[in-house]
Amino acid sequence: MYNLKTKIMDLENTKAQMRKGILEYCILSVISRGSCYASDIIKELKEAKVIVVEGTLYPLLTRQKNAGLLSYRWEESQQGPPRKYYELTQQGKNYLTDLDRSWDELVESVNMIRTRQQNN
Amino acid sequence: MKITVSINLGGYSFNIDEDAYGELKRYLKNLELHFAGEESSSEILSDIETRISELFRARLSAYKQVIDMEDVRYAISVLGNPEDFSDEEAQSSGSKFSAPGYHRMYRDPDRRIIGGVCAGMGAYWSIEPWIVRVIFIAITLAGGLGLLIYLILYVVLPEAKTTSQKIEMKGDPVNIKNITDSVKNEFDTVRKNMKL
Repeated sequence: MYNLKTKIMDLENTKAQMRKGILEYCILSVISRGSCYASDIIKELKEAKVIVVEGTLYPLLTRQKNAGLLSYRWEESQQGPPRKYYELTQQGKNYLTDLDRSWDELVESVNMIRTRQQNN
Repeated sequence: MKITVSINLGGYSFNIDEDAYGELKRYLKNLELHFAGEESSSEILSDIETRISELFRARLSAYKQVIDMEDVRYAISVLGNPEDFSDEEAQSSGSKFSAPGYHRMYRDPDRRIIGGVCAGMGAYWSIEPWIVRVIFIAITLAGGLGLLIYLILYVVLPEAKTTSQKIEMKGDPVNIKNITDSVKNEFDTVRKNMKL
């Protein structure tokens, strides 16, 4: 007997899909406020409930770095080995400006649809 | 009393219980498999190791100098298992080291009666092995051809020995989740057999 895995559209899945789309944007937003260390980024994302497990972040940071959106430098730390501090590159800043604009448009669209439903 | 192992994680040296070491090693190996297709997988892994070492350091004190199983489980729960974060990733990674649904016919040693040929065919077509067995017996009784076919298949079909072969036999994609599930199933069978 083999269980055929059926994909059921459930609430958790929908939420995960929504988070997926905005995670990359959130990471860039956090870093845009000044260079930061992976643990700082994790802390903010966890507080905002955009990530559940930390392992998600590391591949994304590396991909964004490879795509030229981020760069990092090693900084000496007082209690231990040097840490990686991430910063946005000029390309990353432009990319983020684009994302900011499209996010505003999305929010506007969703709000428009939601308020219309209420009026009817 | 327990034996401890000394490890270097993210530039720090830790004393870690032997069982906890085994668990950590298994976890890191899983991650390595998960990121195998990434462009900079070694960089991702070293970032994660650095983070684990940070989590470990926060849990050590003058009165607790050895990393134990609980600390490793804690670190794993914070960082998550590969199947947890593939759900969250922006670019879905899927299974990287085997085409999805790669499907081959094998002999199934786990459900065999003679050579596992019928069981393997059953697994391949997702039908019960006894249906295949009945067909073979019928062809054999109808003139002995069934026996010949059986012998040929026994020689031609390889036995599904490894976990990934057993998964391929059933046509599931070979990824970490399936391997873990399959290994767990095997453990359960062994445990049941030993009546633990």
